[in-house]
Amino acid sequence: MKLRAITGVLAGLALAASALSATAGEVLDRIAKNKVLVVATDAAYPPQSAQKPDGSFEGFDIDVATEIAKRMGAEIKFVTPAWEVITAGRWGGRWDLSVGSMTPTAERAKVLDFPAVYYFTPAAFYVHKDSEYQKVEDLNGKKIGTCGACTYENYLKKDLTIDAEGAPPFEYLVTPGEIRTYETDVNAMDDLRIGDGKRLDAGISALPTVVEAIKNGYPLRVLGEPVFYEPLSVAADKGDPAFSAKLSDIVAAMREDGSLTEISEKWYGVDLTKGN
Amino acid sequence: MPQLLSGLTEQPRTKWLLFFLVVLAAAFAIDFSGTGLSALIMPLTGFGPGDAANATDRLLLAIMLAAFVTADIFVILRLPFVVQIGVVWAQLLILFLAFFYSFDLSFPFIAARLPILIFTGAFTTIYVSLISIGIACVIAMSAALARLSNNGPAYGIATFYISFFRGTPLLLQVYLIYLGLPQIGVTLEAVPSGIIALSLCYGAYMAEIFRAGIQGVPDGQAEAGTALGLRRGLVMRKIVLPQAMKLIVPPTGNQFIAMLKDSSLVSVMGVWELMFLARTQGRSEFKHFEMLITAALIYWLISIVFELIQSRIEAYYGKGDQR
Repeated sequence: MKLRAITGVLAGLALAASALSATAGEVLDRIAKNKVLVVATDAAYPPQSAQKPDGSFEGFDIDVATEIAKRMGAEIKFVTPAWEVITAGRWGGRWDLSVGSMTPTAERAKVLDFPAVYYFTPAAFYVHKDSEYQKVEDLNGKKIGTCGACTYENYLKKDLTIDAEGAPPFEYLVTPGEIRTYETDVNAMDDLRIGDGKRLDAGISALPTVVEAIKNGYPLRVLGEPVFYEPLSVAADKGDPAFSAKLSDIVAAMREDGSLTEISEKWYGVDLTKGN
Repeated sequence: MPQLLSGLTEQPRTKWLLFFLVVLAAAFAIDFSGTGLSALIMPLTGFGPGDAANATDRLLLAIMLAAFVTADIFVILRLPFVVQIGVVWAQLLILFLAFFYSFDLSFPFIAARLPILIFTGAFTTIYVSLISIGIACVIAMSAALARLSNNGPAYGIATFYISFFRGTPLLLQVYLIYLGLPQIGVTLEAVPSGIIALSLCYGAYMAEIFRAGIQGVPDGQAEAGTALGLRRGLVMRKIVLPQAMKLIVPPTGNQFIAMLKDSSLVSVMGVWELMFLARTQGRSEFKHFEMLITAALIYWLISIVFELIQSRIEAYYGKGDQR
């Protein structure tokens, strides 16, 4: 009797828990019904995702998301919650998918599904163009800036675990004297552009972001070779395996027929979809 | 002319000399070398840009600046009061704009993005703030009345509410409402979440303003009303509140202007208000300053408009004081 009461309570709890997260098929049903795929994007990262003057978006992630929506037979709609709101998970059906160059870390995998790695981005150190540093090892003991709670900070702290399939191995080459973290890694570039060593000695970010900044007149220089390659994945909320399976099929097909490579070459000039 | 001369002799010259020396010291302390200002003055002093660190050069520049500022203030003080204000505003504005102009901004970049900043950004900021301040007023009045009542539970709820929402950061409240409520099955869109967070937070601050306003009306007013046989509700509505409004309006206007800017916190939920668009648009071509300065000027203009509206409302509730 007692046992039955306890199992009853447990079953009730389980039911409540499943009601909180998306139930199987719910996301896919919603997309099929509304014919709209709602994608969260953090429009602070050209050339991945940036906002145009008319309010629409452009970039590699935007094109990939648009292609995924097309293959699902749905219209695409972008929403722009803050990055930490996207990575916090438990989206509550506000949006269906993140195509936001997200690294599938073990920590994030607790709250999000990572159905498909769609490209690999090289992470590289950069310095002021007047800087005397010539190789990555010169940065030992220096002030290095990057985004807070991101993989670059983890790398600097020597605490980076990337447990995605096909992630190339890497080494920790630098022991920073001080790590300064910002809201995004672009803020670190702003601090470094003020002058060599004024606030920062160097920064670490995605190579495409650094190249884009230099193209836009930032007085920076890429230092040495990329230090690691991050697999970047599309992310979905937990709880709809059918939707996740569909996403991984679509991305696999896009890889197969070369459309992913085509989008990569359009935005990065190189094919980053294969991993170094 | 005789007026100007008499003004001159009335002023103790030592005061002006002292003023000149203070400005001189300040101007000398700042190194203007390499700025547009020193380039302007350089041909007059005969030193090239390479001699910028030269102390004589710096002293000369400081003397000229100090002389100019002293003469400027001297002349302004001789003008009628209203003209004085106008001239000071104009001069400060010119300095301010010259400061921004020296950043070498890309004006075509700003022009292309001005429509979205105004019609989407500023519009969203204003309507979110207006709705929030309306709801906040209702909450604040209820909480203030509850705090002033003898009803234990009402007093308890009101003080608990005020304590919590004044005691926690607005950003945290935004997160609690946007991310926390879905955990108990209530999923709100970004804009309603933002309006709720702003209303609750400002309602708590304004409850104290309303309470102080009501308490600021002398007890004799309510007593006189009661003595005339008016019911309590009527005394509150017709006698106390109209007089309290005079005390409530100025700090409420203050709160509204603060809210205009605090509404930028709802951008974490992806609401396209002014600050969000300024940041996002600026990042698209790594031109942050262009967008931040534009947004600053738009915020400022909106605030000025609402300051004017506030002074009209103040005049309305203050008409009891006019003779």
